[in-house]
Amino acid sequence: MLKRLRSLLRALTGRRDFEAGMTEELCFHIERYTEDLVRAGVSQEEAGRRARIELGSLNSVREDCREARGLHLFDELVRELSYAARSLRKTPAFTATALLTLAVCLGANLTIFSAIDSILLRPLPFPAPSRLVTVFNTYPKAGVERDGSTLTNYYERRGNIPAFDSLAIYRFGTAIIGEAGATEREQITRVSPDFFTTLGLGPAMGRTFTEEETTYKTDGVAILTDAYWRQRYHADTRVIGRQIRVDGLPKTVIGVLPPEFRFLSSEARLYLPLASRPEDRTPLERHSGGNVIQMIARLKPGASLMQAQAQIDAQNARLETDDPKGKMMADAGFRSIVTSLHGDHVAAIRPTLLLLQAGVLALLLIGAVNLVNLLLIRASSRGKELAVRQALGASRRHVVSEVLVETTLLTLLGGVLGLAGGAWGIHLLAALGADRLPLGSRMAFDARLALAGLAAAIVMGIVLAAPIAWLNLRRPLGGALQSESRGGTSGRAAQTLRHGFMVSQIALSFILLAGAGMLGLSLKRAMAVSPGFRSDHLLTGQVSLPFKNYPDGATRRAFVEKAMSEIGGLPGVLSAGVVSNVPLSGNSGKSAAKVKGRITRPGESPRGHYSYWVGGDYFGAMGFSLRAGRFLTAADSRRAQRVCVVDEDFARYYWPNGGALGERLFAGSEERADAEAFTIVGVVGNVKQAGLTDDTAQGAIYYPYIFRGDNDIFVVVRTGLPPELLGPALQRAVRQIDPDLPVNDLRSMEDRVADSLVARRSPALLAGLFSGIALLLTAIGSYGVLSYAVAQRRREIGVRMALGARPDQIRGQFVALALRLLVCGTILGVMGAWLAGRAMETVLFHVAALNLAILAGSAGVMGVVSLVACLLPSHRAARISPMEALVDE
Amino acid sequence: MAILGKTADLLPGTLDMLILKAVSLKPLHGYGVLLRIRQISGDALDIPQGSLYPALYRLEHQDLIAAEWGQSENNRRAKYYTVTAAGRRRLREETAGWNRLASAIAAALNTKSEEV
Repeated sequence: MLKRLRSLLRALTGRRDFEAGMTEELCFHIERYTEDLVRAGVSQEEAGRRARIELGSLNSVREDCREARGLHLFDELVRELSYAARSLRKTPAFTATALLTLAVCLGANLTIFSAIDSILLRPLPFPAPSRLVTVFNTYPKAGVERDGSTLTNYYERRGNIPAFDSLAIYRFGTAIIGEAGATEREQITRVSPDFFTTLGLGPAMGRTFTEEETTYKTDGVAILTDAYWRQRYHADTRVIGRQIRVDGLPKTVIGVLPPEFRFLSSEARLYLPLASRPEDRTPLERHSGGNVIQMIARLKPGASLMQAQAQIDAQNARLETDDPKGKMMADAGFRSIVTSLHGDHVAAIRPTLLLLQAGVLALLLIGAVNLVNLLLIRASSRGKELAVRQALGASRRHVVSEVLVETTLLTLLGGVLGLAGGAWGIHLLAALGADRLPLGSRMAFDARLALAGLAAAIVMGIVLAAPIAWLNLRRPLGGALQSESRGGTSGRAAQTLRHGFMVSQIALSFILLAGAGMLGLSLKRAMAVSPGFRSDHLLTGQVSLPFKNYPDGATRRAFVEKAMSEIGGLPGVLSAGVVSNVPLSGNSGKSAAKVKGRITRPGESPRGHYSYWVGGDYFGAMGFSLRAGRFLTAADSRRAQRVCVVDEDFARYYWPNGGALGERLFAGSEERADAEAFTIVGVVGNVKQAGLTDDTAQGAIYYPYIFRGDNDIFVVVRTGLPPELLGPALQRAVRQIDPDLPVNDLRSMEDRVADSLVARRSPALLAGLFSGIALLLTAIGSYGVLSYAVAQRRREIGVRMALGARPDQIRGQFVALALRLLVCGTILGVMGAWLAGRAMETVLFHVAALNLAILAGSAGVMGVVSLVACLLPSHRAARISPMEALVDE
Repeated sequence: MAILGKTADLLPGTLDMLILKAVSLKPLHGYGVLLRIRQISGDALDIPQGSLYPALYRLEHQDLIAAEWGQSENNRRAKYYTVTAAGRRRLREETAGWNRLASAIAAALNTKSEEV
């Protein structure tokens, strides 16, 4: 088989040589034969004649030889292709409409598919990626869905879970890299030594971390990513052993990762050992996660997720029995979940992507229906020509292959345009923020996508050809020859088919329109949610104080005080504050709190609350509303007074009848000495912490900054100027205090609010775009079908008008037809929209699956558009002059 | 091919076999194949010339024979065919099959009424 294909290919690629050789060979034959005949005594002339007669017609021998090579099929294809190209050129309006429809529909599908492919389908770039899992702790009854893992979890599980080949932890972060005066903040990831073995992909050069490098004194090593190595060291292979300064401390480069190494969506430039102290690994710390450290593991070959889950559950149960906090954690619904690393990483975006793909598939269907309708009309107008050819002996195979070649040529050309559309669409998606989605940066226009696009185009060609070929074959020849002559009406089957297609098109467009409406309304309602603070004129930025220069609370407080006075003195600054984490940052951690003297109700679980540490005039700068008592001030940090502020949700949960002021609470899950209690001095309004659409009343506590142990802080500045203008001045103010401290992630609060809605805004925009295209396609389709109906019944209309029918009767007849189809389509569309709404429930916000306003609006838009599209042809029908119609043809 | 003497028409399906046999003896060009078949059949078989070349192309396509351009006896460029390993194998099988068929038919035709 392969050899024959090669022989055919050789003949095809060297077609000219093949033909010349064949001719030469046959001429040689004739000459030799002639010579032999002459030698046998035949006259020269007679010999030549006989030689040619015996060989037979040269052309038919050649054709037989070509057939022996399989070339004839190819020749036939070339003939049909050129015929198809000619006939497409002859109808430029049809061809342009069809190509544009295909380009838009295929382009939209390719665009969304590229997102699905890069985010959901393509496996992670590690060996046997399906065996990679992640493990995280969850305390659902305390309102903490996800709490990462702890060092204790890691050391307890390592080597003790038989279903795991290996197990590792990592922690994302940032660090200041470089020598004094030339520092930059870079993304880093701290990992346990077995991190790279778990992934199955380690340094291309050098070594990985060792067990000894997981303690603070001995962790002075770093592994570079390929990109960082190229950028900073110009790919110098002697980099191993060089020193690099991280947060002011020297680290030795011990390895460089390969270029293809990319862990999830991490932008980390540097990998450092995840160092810890022995006391961080004790059972006391088993539940102190805070969603900071994450765990990955590699399943043993053949081991299943369920086995791993069962083993983790069993170990947790064993450990819980002698854990003093075990009972409380059980009350909080504590569990450690084992799930696919890839699946978990993209879980949030999956429903939206699938929804969008469904949307563009509907668009493709609408486009395909349009094409079928156009092709059917085209086929009917050619019915007579085809019938004549069939009558003259064209085979059924020929009729089918001709249609197939023509539609496939059309869809392939459209597919090529669609590839261009897809390439453009991917840029558009990136502009809409798709590259910030998990794994979204993998999105690219590549050979894989191009191949998928062309394959889809070919499949579409075949699918579109089927109904046309069927209609062509089953048309009775005699009927076809007559139907265009006097008195004929159109084929009933073709008409029913066209009307059915039009109804389905209206229904699909309706569903798309209603879906886009639901997404848009959700977005509108999400945007209308008040975040609980004033987001205008607010600039935010992040500062991380390196542990080396800021080892304790006193040095950090000194920095904050200096920064507040520097920044407060800047022109245009109204007020400024610091906070451990701004709302809507996407990683608001929750921690436990215990209200003094409160006895837990039976069945009640401990609760996690959003916890913040604030300094300066944070509340004033953010524009929080005060409900009772007072805000925290800079003085509270200076005096290190144990006071705190809570929000209304918190106050209402613990003191439903009021009276939170003056009550005391402990940071952490248990009651401690009175001296450690914080007194509530104020109650502030609720703030949307995790996202504008987060409706859970989790409660929040604000402590003075001085009690914060960590080094990452956000600076928030309220200004009378446009906040972006203040950025450089803010940078300079911080550099004045510490020249090595960059301010990162400088953005206005309005930007942050807008960004937090990107997962709603972009899909809504896309759905709107798709439904707009769908409307346009439906209008084109309806117009085409009705125009054709009018053109076909021209003669009938002429006769009726000659017999006295009024123009408005004729017009009414066509408008009634359009209305009938519209009503059928809308009824189907409402049912579809309801189903779509049900499927979309997870991504809707405060919008019901069956929203009457949206349905009415969609029906209105749909009705206006398709009636306008139908009025034009109806109008034309009414203006037909009986004389012309009857004289024509 | 009626230069001289009386010839018989080919049985269907035997042309390929004869071509394989002819080129298995010695590389030949198309006209040479014609002459060789006539020679080895003692001028008894007539090959329709029009089907010779399609058969050669078909056999080459099936990789049973291979073609190469060379010099003919009178120093002209000509396409020479040789048998391939696969062709040789096919020839052996076809020869065996043919022999079985021929002897079976011969035995059948030689049957006398008293043997029934």
